[in-house]
Amino acid sequence: MDPYKGIKAEVLSIINETPTIKTFVLKPEKEFSFSTGQFIQFAVPKVGESPFTPSSSPLEKEKFEVTIMRVGRVTESIHNLRKGDVVEIRGPLGKGYPLNEFEKKEVLILGGGVGLAPLRSLLLTLLYEKHKYNRIVLLYGARTPIDIVYKNEFPEWAKKGAEIYRSVDKGDENWKEKVGVVTTLFEDVKLNPDNGVAVVCGPPIMMKFGTLKLLQIGYKPENIYLSMEKNMSCGIGKCGHCGLGKYFVCKDGPVFKYSQIMNIEGIWE
Amino acid sequence: MKFISKENFKSFVNALSDKYEIFYPAKLNEQQYEWAKWENNKELSLEGFRTILPAKYFFYSTRENLTEKAKKETIIFGLRGCDVRGLELLKKIYLEEPKDPYFRTDVLIFSADCTSSHRDCFCTTLGDKPFAESGFDLNFSCLEEGFLVEEGSERGKEILGSHSRLFREATELQKKAITDKRIKIEEELKKRSEEKVLDLQDLKNKIEKNKAILEEYGKDCVSCSSCTNICPGCFCFLLCEGEENKIRYADSCQFKGYARVAGGANPRKNLIPRFANRVYCKFIYRPEAQGLKGCTGCGRCFSSCQGKIDFKEMLLKIQM
Repeated sequence: MDPYKGIKAEVLSIINETPTIKTFVLKPEKEFSFSTGQFIQFAVPKVGESPFTPSSSPLEKEKFEVTIMRVGRVTESIHNLRKGDVVEIRGPLGKGYPLNEFEKKEVLILGGGVGLAPLRSLLLTLLYEKHKYNRIVLLYGARTPIDIVYKNEFPEWAKKGAEIYRSVDKGDENWKEKVGVVTTLFEDVKLNPDNGVAVVCGPPIMMKFGTLKLLQIGYKPENIYLSMEKNMSCGIGKCGHCGLGKYFVCKDGPVFKYSQIMNIEGIWE
Repeated sequence: MKFISKENFKSFVNALSDKYEIFYPAKLNEQQYEWAKWENNKELSLEGFRTILPAKYFFYSTRENLTEKAKKETIIFGLRGCDVRGLELLKKIYLEEPKDPYFRTDVLIFSADCTSSHRDCFCTTLGDKPFAESGFDLNFSCLEEGFLVEEGSERGKEILGSHSRLFREATELQKKAITDKRIKIEEELKKRSEEKVLDLQDLKNKIEKNKAILEEYGKDCVSCSSCTNICPGCFCFLLCEGEENKIRYADSCQFKGYARVAGGANPRKNLIPRFANRVYCKFIYRPEAQGLKGCTGCGRCFSSCQGKIDFKEMLLKIQM
């Protein structure tokens, strides 16, 4: 087995989420299954490869989705893909969300911007077996209403039992919900940190202040789960790129308990 | 423990060369040895100390097309203890599941005791020895009249077995001669460090608390990556898309872009955190995650450093 060789996947469709974010629906050439929170390496042949966490439910077996923001060379070429194009994927890689540790607990999902991608996969997984969890709360922040991903899916998630609170840094005339950074949503929701876990994913600055807020309201470091973004290259714990202290994020993560990494320098940068 | 005479050693190498490609440390001058490919009737001396480049590049390349390649069976003679210890770490990383199929496991390691030392060598300062204690297929110790040979693996044993007529049992006198030689070279190295030996556990605790020292030494770093390229314990690479398959390039944590992520965030965009990362990796991260330190005391980093950063001196200062 060559872990550097991927399998082919066809682009079935492309959903425009925001002006800079698209969701790609991919059909792998052979069976491909993952646990929610695990990531894949997504390669545009001859151009480059980048790591992403699938944003769809792992229960869907035929196809899966990745939501990708255009920020650099590889994501630019991914955004130029069309329906029917063939890409290469490697994975699943890393460890996903430890769902068994969430059982019988209140699960708070805290997301920012395109960071909702892996959290959407988690949310769909949790909602499928909702009875296992005491409560599912989603706090989501985006810069402006246009920057919100999965715009049409929130009502459905709410119908299935997720409590949803949203904010934007800057509203517009149609925005009726909260205006402010995502942490301001904590004012509106009563949480139970003593029997709850919090799962955070978003841009570094939001991860930092989100985590600090969670600690402030009483979440213990071992009950805060962070999806760490590092530049995974090999994806299997050999190339060193995603080193985070003694850990390789690709192999030991990408999901870490805050207690595992709280003493490592520069985790928010 | 076996003995092989100098004459028989020539026949041994000749016989092996039918099947194997053989590399050995060729002497350039009093302070430099370099890897050379053995050719018929060339003298293969195992005297001396570590080569300029580490042996790791026999196991993977600095630029490598990741496809199946026909490999010529290879023997490396004369790896020193430092290179063998470096390879132990690399094997842990590359061969942990899922295994890297391109890291060579077929290369035979015929290590040799150091008989002298380079001015930058400091293995004894780390508590290590100027010879390999494990991790080899065969180990050679130089005597006036030949070599003592120790088996370190099944493959090594098999090779000895199939050339058994060239070897005989080592005498107690010969074993004693080797022990004495080893002590002598160890003493020589220890003297160079004024008998100082680092307490690695203590060093680990002190490194992060002595940032001023890391800064004092790190400010002379020019991020050239010589130290990581030449280090037997550095293993980092970058995986890229090639025309047909992936290509692997040796990479360095000393480069500014090494830890940068999409969108531009970079925990080590500044010089000192990059410089410190290398030290943390060697003495904190790898011991914690792999159970092996990332530094072998070969001193190649100092030898090749454009900023003349004396790593041994820095470590001793941190420990003080």
